[in-house]
Amino acid sequence: MTTASGPSLGGIDAGGAAPTTGIGDAPSSPRAASRPRRTRHHWVVRVTHWVNVVALGLMITTGLRIFNAFPAFARKGETFCCYPFAGKPIPAVLTFGGWLAGARNWHFAAMWLLFANGLVYLTFIYLHGEWRDLAPRRGDLRDSWEMIKFYLFARPDHPHQGKHNALQKSAYFSMPILGALAIITGLAIWKPVQLAPLTNLLGGYVWARYWHFLVMVSLVLITIVHIIMVFAVDPYSLRSMITGGYDESKSPEARNARPFFWRRPASGRGRSDGGLDE
Amino acid sequence: MNRRQFFTFGAGSIAAGALAACDSVGPKSAASLLKFAERKNEGLERWLFGTGSRNRVMAQARLSGRAFPRYFISESVPVWNEAQRGVWRLEVGGAVRNPLSLTLDDLVKMRSVTQKVDHFCVEGWTARAEWTGVRVSELARVAGATSDAHYVDFQSFDSDYHESWDIESALHPQTLVAYGMDRAMLGPGHGAPARVHSPVKLGYKNTKYLTRILFLPTRSGGYWSDRGYEWYGGV
Repeated sequence: MTTASGPSLGGIDAGGAAPTTGIGDAPSSPRAASRPRRTRHHWVVRVTHWVNVVALGLMITTGLRIFNAFPAFARKGETFCCYPFAGKPIPAVLTFGGWLAGARNWHFAAMWLLFANGLVYLTFIYLHGEWRDLAPRRGDLRDSWEMIKFYLFARPDHPHQGKHNALQKSAYFSMPILGALAIITGLAIWKPVQLAPLTNLLGGYVWARYWHFLVMVSLVLITIVHIIMVFAVDPYSLRSMITGGYDESKSPEARNARPFFWRRPASGRGRSDGGLDE
Repeated sequence: MNRRQFFTFGAGSIAAGALAACDSVGPKSAASLLKFAERKNEGLERWLFGTGSRNRVMAQARLSGRAFPRYFISESVPVWNEAQRGVWRLEVGGAVRNPLSLTLDDLVKMRSVTQKVDHFCVEGWTARAEWTGVRVSELARVAGATSDAHYVDFQSFDSDYHESWDIESALHPQTLVAYGMDRAMLGPGHGAPARVHSPVKLGYKNTKYLTRILFLPTRSGGYWSDRGYEWYGGV
């Protein structure tokens, strides 16, 4: 299926450098000139995205190592309703820090990276306008339903819903909210006496620790789905989060891409190692 | 190597590095950065402490009772051997005008408080008990701690166990030298004859099997603090 249209066919990678002939100030090829250089994600968004990968990765792996020192929730002498895996440690391969003190030292250092990075990101998207691509709108529910129908082959064509489709939007919008919840619940169990009102608001230390854990689980689940969808639907977007370059002719809309079901579009490079055929 | 191979190689290297890092303590070069973060965190925590918060547990809250864990570092439960060491005494010294040497009787006769508070362990568990004892601030007052006492070291007969505190946390009204637990005299598993107990510090800062309280102008580390746990250990 060759849905790519416009002047981009056979063009040069938008993210790559335009070729020069090497003779004086010769203009670059008309093909390259005809395709405007597009930056899908501002560099601040790209940098904070990858810093967040490091920060969240550290927080989750060290957090799991801390959790392993007491992989349960009940206060001593009491029971806890809502955790069926009490006493079972997290596999060491998913942890970082080596031991409780090592993991704590990393956790209480990396939390500032997570916090500062989140602050930079949120401040930037607020001032620069990117928040509009993520903020929920009336009609998102209907749009989500259309996306689900499309993914389930109940609708033939990919809905056009802007930079992100409604499902993506809800995921990307919930990430900073979960990040903020992780910080708030984390503060509540770091300082349950000094910040007692916050800890009490969350139901006390035991519950605050449970919420902190559940927020982490939610972040992990969303991240797993996010990574799967990047590779299963739009691997071209990976480049857009590194160099910023993105070729709209390869967008999921242009390729009518469903998870794992799409064809590599025709392009300047004649290789065909894209996704699966329908 | 083209760009695709470069990114594949790069991603592979990062993944391999991440896997190798699993369950490790991380690179040595990070140690100074982690120390820096610990110092900055201590500053923030001490500033927060200045707000004067107290731990409050509801009067009808259930106590942990026998489920309250018993930790010590010696091979077996440390018990004060009176035949070998003579009568147990609590020494209060260092930067004080009147050093004290108190028997358990002396301690029990001092002005006491009984408080039901939380106990926060560094491991993540929490327990509740009702502690009876003398405020460290009361001992500081009686001993006449001097103005250059910025730190307090709590020493024990549980091998070489000790932990030093900032003076503010030591003088907190909920920081006790406790000799009673849940309306009984302290048992050997919980640090008899007397121990430090406070809800404002993590469990490992609360020295059990107490022998000496030393007021100091400088901090003097601690058993777990010297082994990698944060020195401040505030809650």
